[in-house]
Amino acid sequence: MYQFTHLHVASAYSGHYGVTRPEYLAEAAAAMGATALAITDRNGLYGAVKHIGACLQLGLDPIVGVDLAVLDDTAKPIGRVTVLAHGNNSGAGWATLCKLVSVAQQHGKKQPPGLTITQLAALVQQGDSETGYVATATAVLSPDNPFGQLALTSNRSAALNALADWSRHFVAPGALAIEIVSLLTEPGSTWSTVQATRLVDLADHLGIPAVLTNAVRYLSPDDALTADVLDAARHLEPLGMFEPQPNAQAWLKTHGQMLEVAQEICREYKRAQKLLDVTAALATRCRLNPVKDCDWGRPKTPEKSALGITGNPFELLWQKTHEAIGWRYPGISQSKLQTVQHRLAAELMTIHKLEFATYFLTVADVAQMIRDMKIRTAARGSGAGSLVNYLLGISGVDPIEHDLLFERFLSTERTSLPDIDIDVESARRHEIYRAIFKRYGSDRVTLLSMQSTYRGRGAVRDSGLALGFEDDEIDDIAKNVWRFSARSFRAAAATKPELAKMAEALEHDRKLNLLVDITERLDRLPRHISMHPCGVILGDTSLLSLTPVEPSGLGLPMSQFDKDDMDPMGLLKLDVLGVRMQSSMAYAVREIARVSGKELDLDAIALDDPETFKSIRTTNTLGIFQIESPGQRELTGKHQPTVFNDLTIQISLFRPGPMKGNMIAPYLDARHGFAKAIYPHPDLEPILRETFGVVIFHEHVLRIFNVMTKCGLAKADELRRSLENPRQKPQIESFFRQKSSENGYEQKVIDKVWATIESFGSFGFCKAHGAAFAMPTYQSAWLKTHYPTEFVAGLFTHDPGMYPRRLLLTEARRLGVNILPLDVNKSTDEYLVEKLPNQQLAVRLALTELQSISVTEIARIIKNAPYADLSDFYLRAEPTRRTLENLALVGALDSLAGIGDGLGSLGVSSAGAGSDSQSRQITRGDIMAKVRQLNAVKKRPKLDPDQPMLEFDYSETLPTGNPEPSLESKVQNELRLLKLDVSQHVIELYRPMLDEMGVVQASELVGLRNKTEVLIAGVRVATQTPPMRSGKRVVFISLDDGSGCSDATFFDEAQKRCSHILFNTRLVLISGKTRRTGVRGVSVMAENAWDLKDLYKQWKAKQAQQVAS
Amino acid sequence: MGFYPGAIKKRGKMTRVDEAVTVSVNQNGEPIGFRWRDQCFLVMNRPVRWFARKEWWVESARVQRGIGAGVLETEMWRLSANCQDQVMQFELVHQAISNRWQLVRVFGN
Repeated sequence: MYQFTHLHVASAYSGHYGVTRPEYLAEAAAAMGATALAITDRNGLYGAVKHIGACLQLGLDPIVGVDLAVLDDTAKPIGRVTVLAHGNNSGAGWATLCKLVSVAQQHGKKQPPGLTITQLAALVQQGDSETGYVATATAVLSPDNPFGQLALTSNRSAALNALADWSRHFVAPGALAIEIVSLLTEPGSTWSTVQATRLVDLADHLGIPAVLTNAVRYLSPDDALTADVLDAARHLEPLGMFEPQPNAQAWLKTHGQMLEVAQEICREYKRAQKLLDVTAALATRCRLNPVKDCDWGRPKTPEKSALGITGNPFELLWQKTHEAIGWRYPGISQSKLQTVQHRLAAELMTIHKLEFATYFLTVADVAQMIRDMKIRTAARGSGAGSLVNYLLGISGVDPIEHDLLFERFLSTERTSLPDIDIDVESARRHEIYRAIFKRYGSDRVTLLSMQSTYRGRGAVRDSGLALGFEDDEIDDIAKNVWRFSARSFRAAAATKPELAKMAEALEHDRKLNLLVDITERLDRLPRHISMHPCGVILGDTSLLSLTPVEPSGLGLPMSQFDKDDMDPMGLLKLDVLGVRMQSSMAYAVREIARVSGKELDLDAIALDDPETFKSIRTTNTLGIFQIESPGQRELTGKHQPTVFNDLTIQISLFRPGPMKGNMIAPYLDARHGFAKAIYPHPDLEPILRETFGVVIFHEHVLRIFNVMTKCGLAKADELRRSLENPRQKPQIESFFRQKSSENGYEQKVIDKVWATIESFGSFGFCKAHGAAFAMPTYQSAWLKTHYPTEFVAGLFTHDPGMYPRRLLLTEARRLGVNILPLDVNKSTDEYLVEKLPNQQLAVRLALTELQSISVTEIARIIKNAPYADLSDFYLRAEPTRRTLENLALVGALDSLAGIGDGLGSLGVSSAGAGSDSQSRQITRGDIMAKVRQLNAVKKRPKLDPDQPMLEFDYSETLPTGNPEPSLESKVQNELRLLKLDVSQHVIELYRPMLDEMGVVQASELVGLRNKTEVLIAGVRVATQTPPMRSGKRVVFISLDDGSGCSDATFFDEAQKRCSHILFNTRLVLISGKTRRTGVRGVSVMAENAWDLKDLYKQWKAKQAQQVAS
Repeated sequence: MGFYPGAIKKRGKMTRVDEAVTVSVNQNGEPIGFRWRDQCFLVMNRPVRWFARKEWWVESARVQRGIGAGVLETEMWRLSANCQDQVMQFELVHQAISNRWQLVRVFGN
């Protein structure tokens, strides 16, 4: 039976236009009895792969097209066109579509994506005037084009002429069609039945096929409201300020409803039938065969020539890996060599069987290229479990030493391309992308894209925009949208203490109710496309016929497909992820070499340095990769790692899964001997010994399956993967039970192990991934232990962590690292390490920290340094007035006036700030006075040696007698202009009050008994609400008071007392009881919290009263 | 019917009204006649239905998921009807849920 096929359907991947995800559209079409469905996203094929995947699953024939603007000669959009790829022509239609989209997008943001009618005609037709033309795609012109507007004016001949003028470009049969749409709008307007009727007449007159669509942009009428909000986001204007969609009719209507529309447009049954027949014929021509048309699922890698290979790739891989054994395992014993060779042979066999040799050679080639560029790299993910990766230099983790499994990474049971992720220095990753494009050619490489989706705050913001809320109103609301899904905004408002005010307002505020409703509607819709932070697609020369590209922010072409589209399309994605910690470490190593002349190879340090572990165990882990968060700090205190594998375990434990699965406590108890490790069966003891019987790693599950069912590790990984699918679980259970029982395991043991495995599901972590992460964790801890000054300089320069930079300052103070203030003669755009006269090292603040300074100003200051005096700086560095003043306020000009050498605050050369200037009686107040004089000059004179400067006295006489600013005002200026309290910790300003109240310092907490009543105070540096097993929310607050970091935990009751403080206040005082969490771990179980500034005001007032009375 | 079928020309002066009317419909739901101001009007042509939009951000209290398109659009009918040999054009609003009809505009006189 004939079923209507929708040929014009925008999915939610049409940014700020479509409402429904492709999967839902396909499901609905299948449920209506359709046999095919098109996706025609706006400006690209963003949802195409997901659509094809969904259609394949549902037994629909996929049709793919794109909805583009038609441009006039000045590149102004004048209407729209839907271009549909023809199918079953060996990919010719698909390639046309990809190229057409790439051309339409080529100007990036400079021009709206679209094509002129001549471009369009040239792209959808192949051939020449001699051999004739063949269409590989059909351009379906929308009614909103000029001819459609003319049709509305009753000027039939003008409309005919306009259409004929366009149609003459399309000579190949099937290259052009007219879209007939009635959205049942007011008669006489666009999208009305009247217009549709007239367009059928025009098409018939010119002999152009007319096809019926519903210009679909949502699944059901209710979704039209969401479309309104998306329109507002696209127009960047509130609803009511632009012309909205005409009504709510652009939904996926049923077969019967489309027949009615056809009948209403055509009036005559026969004409209506013809309209539907022509539509069906076009649909048939456009049905795609994904395998033949899109090369669906076939892995594609660069050609051998692109890799510089002539022979057999597998032989080359065999040779390369075997040659590398001597490099990775120098002086290896005979028995170990056998282990290595045996493992290598097994891995190579799998790779050979899957025909992935070229893939591995490609990744190795990229890794080698990165190393040749002298950029730090590390592997991440399951790829670290492969010996081949280790030998090829892709990964730096020895899988044999760390007991990692290859099968978790790759097995013959799976044929999709494996994921290999490479971490590199974040500051240099763009260099790497460019080098990859250069090496393999831009016909084989594109960047990967990523669709960001609406989440809490973004959804609130765009909803607020649509409803015309003021910016600060929306800021207020968005600020409190914290760790809950926007989909349940209303429910959250009713239960979360920080939304209590909002819940009250919802009782009477209509606009706020609308805001909540549409925020919930927006949640999780794709929001916009951007460059994936790390993905590069490597293919062969067919790449640009398989994926459309558009310019990225980097200027390099970016595929319109995202990471989930890679596997189905058989595209090789390489994650080259910029990791700031790698940049920080590389920077520290460079500074060590520059200042001390020591050449360090961070990848060659011994992994068992006792000093490093000792320093980790103090829980002062700030700045250390992966274990610096408050939760990880607490866990470090409890766990007390002593060897590398402990770090792997700790990183893997601190995940939502293990926390929810209550795996941490049993592990810690057994580790510290509070409980005995329990193994369900002696056979499992060797597998689980490292974690005292607790199943943590995917590798554990693989080995358990393998030991008990003897299924082999490859099959075991398949079983583990299938566990995540509830539908497959029963089969796995029966397989496991039957095989284990056959192998002689008791029922009791089988029950127990299955229960563990079953609950394991989402909990576990890939050990290879944990070990790969543990490497930079260890390396950063090692640097922090042995080269704290250089390490801190690296952290400041590349800012890798989760905390504000001023907390780093606190940590630097705690470590005894000297910090030098800004100095225009010495500071640069990086935090340089300086050697002090007393041979100590110190870190010099960078100019980049100053608010309002520009990149060009910084470059000028660096280029022209050193400066003799203030006027010299003024004339040659040419700072703006604001920058000059700000530099003076934070003391960066002090040295120009001969005030100290910046060492005063360190206590290196004098007793304290403010007293440095005694020798010459010059103060920072004097410098400020001079700066004001300089800034009063209307125009900075140009430096010209021939011309005497008459208007102004540039000789360096500083006005004298101005007072030195107080320490308090210095700190305030530093905080305001640098966001760093350099001279002293900001909390010191409150010290008299804190001392009077008996507030405890963070560093003193560890010496207190359990359950001591305490007050702690400091700058709130982190607020976290990690997932909890009970499902109740717990808020962790970290305070910095200059002596270190203290952590407070707020449970339900406490949250209710002071929720407004927890998320919004900067300086906080907390009361509570100490809670010992481990040997070195103490946190505060909070009872209440206050705004420190408020308290201080009251305290001051009280003091003033006391003085007065 | 002119050159273009389906067109309905608006003729004469337009008057806005807002009054409930009783409407009789055929089996397709199309109006065939109505009573307005104690007079019977008989529909003379094939009435045209369309959907006009509403400004829900001004008018509505809630727009939660599933509330339906009723807050966004209204079903409208335009028709010619005659009463005592006088033909006029009318616009009616039909509220699908309550099945109430409202006369909103009259053309002609």
